[in-house]
Amino acid sequence: MAMKDEGNALWSIFGYLLSGMLFWGGVGYGLDKWLNQGYFLLIGLLLGIGAAIYLVWLRFGRD
Amino acid sequence: MRSLFRLSGEGEGFVPPSSNDFELPPVFGDNAFTTKPIFLVFLSVILVSVFFLLSSRKAAVVPSKLQFAGESIYSFVRNDLGRDIIGHEFMRFVPYLFTLFTFVLTNNIFGIVPFLQFPTMSRVSFPYVLAVFTFVVFHYVGIRKQGIVKYLKDIMFMPGVPKPVYVLLTPIELATFFLVRPLTLSLRLFANMFAGHLLLLVFILGGEHLFQGVLGLKLISPFAFAFGIGLTFFEFMVQCLQAYIFTLLTALYIAGALADEH
Repeated sequence: MAMKDEGNALWSIFGYLLSGMLFWGGVGYGLDKWLNQGYFLLIGLLLGIGAAIYLVWLRFGRD
Repeated sequence: MRSLFRLSGEGEGFVPPSSNDFELPPVFGDNAFTTKPIFLVFLSVILVSVFFLLSSRKAAVVPSKLQFAGESIYSFVRNDLGRDIIGHEFMRFVPYLFTLFTFVLTNNIFGIVPFLQFPTMSRVSFPYVLAVFTFVVFHYVGIRKQGIVKYLKDIMFMPGVPKPVYVLLTPIELATFFLVRPLTLSLRLFANMFAGHLLLLVFILGGEHLFQGVLGLKLISPFAFAFGIGLTFFEFMVQCLQAYIFTLLTALYIAGALADEH
């Protein structure tokens, strides 16, 4: 069962980081286009990564 | 300066392999459904079926070599991918995992079989379809086991988080389960097969081109061929590994959908 958890964690972390960046980065990109600004993409990406890391901690970090 | 880079004597530059090399013309007729990858898929189905029919037909207590080979592959998928990952309900999923593994493996290995030499999965539609199968299977299993409301609730709301934070986390969870999982599953297989085939093309076509050049280049070309051969063995490893990872992730997703909480 230990191997299962490790394998699961590895792929889940990758997936969370990717979808965090995709979703919130996408939202930031959309805001940039809409409001004609240039910094929302960066904020979105950072927010997405942060949220994804938090999610990873929630699932695998705490007992 | 230009002539320095011109390798061959007839004045034609080297055409590096590109994604165009993956768009093969129809074998006969003017029909997009008669291309080489399509035939390779059918061939793989025939090969896999015949192999496992033969290996299990005269099953004996003391197995023949063929039976032993077939049973080794089967027990590998059943024990290492099914039982160890999915847990006590694994037997239901072994047929799917086994079919998936042997099908992907055979199609990958076509990439280095002489005369076939084309990994079917380097055309992206094939991995897409396989990922859709896995997508449907693991969501269906989860919904059947837990009911659609509880299943979606489990995906969307991680327990133990202050309510406002869900605004941040829920979209990520949904994107992971419904978009990123099938996408990464198919693109990983596709990209590995695509890049591997391209790499072999570069070294073997490049070696062939060097051989047509002046004497100095002719001397170099054996090294390119040797690299090509070495990379062929490397590709074999990658092809097995990718078939394994595709099946492993399918099993992990099924196990995740069956588990009570995430």
